Amino acid sequence: MASKHKADKRRKEMRNAPEEDPEFQIAPMIDILLVLLVFFMSISSTEVLQVNQNINLPVAADAKAPKDNVGQVIVNVIWVPLNDIGILEINDVKYNTPAEIIPVLSNALMRAPQTRVLIRADRGVRYAFLRQILKAVGDAQITSITFSVMDKEVPR
Amino acid sequence: MASVGSEDGDVGFQIAPMVDVVFVLMLFFMASAGQQVKERELSINLPGGSSTQAGTRRTPPAVTPIIIEINSEGYVVINNTQVGGPDDKRLPQLRDQLTLMMSMGGEDPVIIRPSPDARHERIMDVLNAAASSNVQKLTFG
Repeated sequence: MASKHKADKRRKEMRNAPEEDPEFQIAPMIDILLVLLVFFMSISSTEVLQVNQNINLPVAADAKAPKDNVGQVIVNVIWVPLNDIGILEINDVKYNTPAEIIPVLSNALMRAPQTRVLIRADRGVRYAFLRQILKAVGDAQITSITFSVMDKEVPR
Repeated sequence: MASVGSEDGDVGFQIAPMVDVVFVLMLFFMASAGQQVKERELSINLPGGSSTQAGTRRTPPAVTPIIIEINSEGYVVINNTQVGGPDDKRLPQLRDQLTLMMSMGGEDPVIIRPSPDARHERIMDVLNAAASSNVQKLTFG
């Protein structure tokens, strides 16, 4: 008797079910948002690099992953193909000649003796300009120089 | 979203659709993360530095430096033999040459001499080839 009553109630619920819309469920939404949050936290690195959108870095597949460093000065080298000249940029300040960055580099070296220079140069930069930059870094007494490259081409 | 007769309308927590959606999302992000472009580094060593102390006599070791020249069109020349044309990004001949030289005692410094008009991209190709051949001492000369 009791089981027949339960079966009837179940059939009645099944017939009634199509009339009802499910309510807004917040618990799955929060879970998905947490998954998304964990994903984005895991792919972003802890150090925020200065990214300059105008620079097209060269591709080098065998380059090493960036390592932890105590202090570095990021030198962005923008290349203007029109007149074949380069512009340096450190901490959002632009410089036209490499000699102008020597004081900036010397200051950075005074603050942190292990400072290295990370050169992010566009792939079109001519060696004549790069040589002046290397000389300026040498004049500022910094010996550790690293170039930034991409591990593969940017997909278009 | 008010529903009619919602006293019986408590659907309860549905885990199956949530797991499905989470898996689809995770698959999507796994696929797109593999295509992300990451920034990498290639380093060189400049001669001199803070470790050099004034007053210590350094006897220069007798090594023959390996000189790699890059001309303005992008041709790479090592010891007067051409090892790569402008279209050759991977430079297999250069890699083989460098690996051979490294295997015969890896103390020889490699000096890169690009012409003033050589492109930075070409210089990075050469640095890349040197990095894959495990060159330890690399500098510009």
